[in-house]
Amino acid sequence: MNIQEFIENFAAQFDDTDVADFTAETKFKQLDEWSSLTALSVIAMVDDEYDVIIKGNDIINSETIQDLYDVVVKLHG
Amino acid sequence: MSQLTINNVRIAGMSACVPSTVEDNRTLPIYKDENDALKVIASTGIERHHKVEPGTTASDLTVKAVERLLDDMGWGPEEVDCLAYVCTSRDYIAPQTACVLQDRLKLRSDCCVFDLPFGCSGWVYGMSIVSSLMSHGTFKRAILVAAETNTQNRNPRDTTVRPLFGDAATATALEFDPDRSCPMNFMYGVDGSGFDAVWAPYGGIRNPVTPEALEEKEVSPGVYRRGIDMIVNGMDVFGFAIKQPPRSLKELIATFNIDVDSVDLLFLHQANKFIDEKIRKAVKIPPEKTPYCLEEYGNVTSASIPLTMVTRCQEQLSQAKPKHCLACGFGVGLAWASMEFYAGDVKISDLVIY
Repeated sequence: MNIQEFIENFAAQFDDTDVADFTAETKFKQLDEWSSLTALSVIAMVDDEYDVIIKGNDIINSETIQDLYDVVVKLHG
Repeated sequence: MSQLTINNVRIAGMSACVPSTVEDNRTLPIYKDENDALKVIASTGIERHHKVEPGTTASDLTVKAVERLLDDMGWGPEEVDCLAYVCTSRDYIAPQTACVLQDRLKLRSDCCVFDLPFGCSGWVYGMSIVSSLMSHGTFKRAILVAAETNTQNRNPRDTTVRPLFGDAATATALEFDPDRSCPMNFMYGVDGSGFDAVWAPYGGIRNPVTPEALEEKEVSPGVYRRGIDMIVNGMDVFGFAIKQPPRSLKELIATFNIDVDSVDLLFLHQANKFIDEKIRKAVKIPPEKTPYCLEEYGNVTSASIPLTMVTRCQEQLSQAKPKHCLACGFGVGLAWASMEFYAGDVKISDLVIY
């Protein structure tokens, strides 16, 4: 499990945003394409890829992709 | 692990009633444009739902559904020994709605009636409770109602719920029949730490109705609610729904040694297509064995599994050879339950429009 792979998995949930726009420091909720539906795709992706369920508050309290990655690492144990 | 096996009871008939007014997600006033609406439809599978007029209650729809069921079954109301009313949108704070229904439906005054205020898991819980009472052998005929008017306890200006939820009432006729019944198996689950994933914070005793609880506020851009309106925390519900229902069904399958290939039909609570498809794939049941009615009726809470059976499986379930079925209900509580049952020669009424 590494941040680069997480960023790629995260970016795959978006249809219109350029993959190059995603870095660990991307403030994902500020992306034009971000919506409540993208949030659900991210939750499903984290379940599929890392076998953990993140909460709504984990997304609400995360600003960057790195923040969310840190939550997943912690839950993954 | 709480599990239960019940013998000697079978599903004899089913009916459902939906209100005549249809709200189409493509033309809802809450979207910027149709493209926004189409995105929601694509990800949830929900295209429209039926909606009561203000003043019509779940029990009004229930009366129509039960009257049709009794007619079609040839059961007199005086022959019903038990009526259970699964619903969270009750007519009054007191009494229980089932008491009011006893009089409206002309059931006997010694009939055993009660409310079961479950949400989306309610039909499965209700099946286990009513069937268990009947398995003693003295109740010969019972009716399990699963009904809800979701459009009345949610805010129409709450964009997170309006496209998803609809109204419906269903009635399931159960009979004590040692000769023709097959065992029903149940597994239960609950996580009360998620009580606020789907909830109405005000209106109970902990947070009574105050003038503030009746004020409509914009809680996030474009989302308006009052304190008494039902809140659905979509992200938490989603996380729960992709984890616990598959686990519950897998526990059911393992505990009762179910051969998944022999399953004819999987009935899932009609939450949304994205969630339900994840559950279906996790238990490896093919799509042709997993009927949906959410595209037409939305999420109708506890009524969603019986409404699917009535509107999508009328012919299959009426055949003499019983179909091997699994069902899983999950949601508000958070509570969930899974069951294995057989259903054949079920008298399913045509859908009643209120």
